[in-house]
Amino acid sequence: MSGPDDIAATPPDHGSLAAEYVLGVLDAPRRREVEARIARDRAFAREVGEWQARLAPLVAEIAPVDPPLYLWPRVRNAVFGVERRGRLDDVSLWRWLTAGAGAVAAAALVFAFVSTRPPPVPTVVAPFVAAINLDDGKPAFVATIDRARGTMIVMPIAAVIPAEKVPELWLIPPGDKPHSLGVVDVAHPVVVSIPAALRDAVTLQAAVAISVEPRGGSPTGQPTGPVIAKGGIASL
Amino acid sequence: MTEGTKTTIEREPAAGDGAARERLRDALVAVAGGDRAAFESLYKATSAKLFGVCLRILQKRSDAEDVLQETYVAIWHKAGLFDAERASPITWLAMIARNKAIDRARAGADQRTASIDLAAGVDDPAAGPATTAESSDSGRRLALCLETLEARQRALIRTAFFDGMTYENLAARSGAPLGSVKSWIRRGLQKLKACLEQ
Repeated sequence: MSGPDDIAATPPDHGSLAAEYVLGVLDAPRRREVEARIARDRAFAREVGEWQARLAPLVAEIAPVDPPLYLWPRVRNAVFGVERRGRLDDVSLWRWLTAGAGAVAAAALVFAFVSTRPPPVPTVVAPFVAAINLDDGKPAFVATIDRARGTMIVMPIAAVIPAEKVPELWLIPPGDKPHSLGVVDVAHPVVVSIPAALRDAVTLQAAVAISVEPRGGSPTGQPTGPVIAKGGIASL
Repeated sequence: MTEGTKTTIEREPAAGDGAARERLRDALVAVAGGDRAAFESLYKATSAKLFGVCLRILQKRSDAEDVLQETYVAIWHKAGLFDAERASPITWLAMIARNKAIDRARAGADQRTASIDLAAGVDDPAAGPATTAESSDSGRRLALCLETLEARQRALIRTAFFDGMTYENLAARSGAPLGSVKSWIRRGLQKLKACLEQ
């Protein structure tokens, strides 16, 4: 292909390289070169700044999109360090854990492997898990249930509720009414202690659900707001 | 979402809104001094815009989320480098997000195949008419100068900016030879610069 436009063999001058960098058309090695040059060549760095200012008004045309609510806790933890809750706040770990059948199968394999070894303890209780899904099937929360301890760790994945409301977790045994397991959090994992009277009701036939409640939780002992997510309990 | 923010900054400051610009600048100065509440305010005021920037360049939402996180980590550490004399706060923030998103995009293969129509203008389909960029003086001038370019130059420059694509990708998606795409864009940029400096 040739023609009057084919002048690309000519190496770009200064200004053109700065402009190309800001426009974003350079490949990765060229970008590294340009960045090294920005660091040592003030005149070139100024040109880059000028091109940023020239093209910046285009940013106004890009529609804003609200990031998911769990991103602020991730940013905060990345910047200020993880406070109090340790590694449980690592949402990406949990997203990986819930990434699908592959992860579940991998976890099951680990369990299978562990259980074939000479048992150091007489019994290994496989944890129960529950993906508490929105109506569209996407997980809003994920719960892992430690039956030996009677605790449930409830991890927010992508739950959105009004600012003045709280999510409340319910256990629904088959044929029974919902039993509150307490208020959880859309931004942090929460360790829920399952009341002793309910521990036997945590079975593979039971369901868990999240309803939207006023601060402090449902005033009636039953869900008063919409149930936004629910899911069954499964064994790993 | 964590509560207790003491300062609030209006969401989505328009480029021409001097008061919003001042609030963002003050927030950046406070962030440079290690003010965590100011950092949270800054995040609340600007994260939707920066997430929009990342999502335009990266097709995978999880990539855009990771890059948005990296961006704010960088903002926390680099806020002291912000120079209000040389850049508007939102421009400075958006350029950090763009650079990180472009670097992430370069690390993977670009899967986009939607063709670029060199004869037509390119609008961000999500943002509606191009007039949003014209809400400021600099936006109006840029829009006028873009109008002086050939349609194919304008289409390529706008697509390159919004999608953060390499010359190679632009050539593949527009069906034009790589050499021509480079030359159109370089000439277009030179013409744009000359027009803006008039």
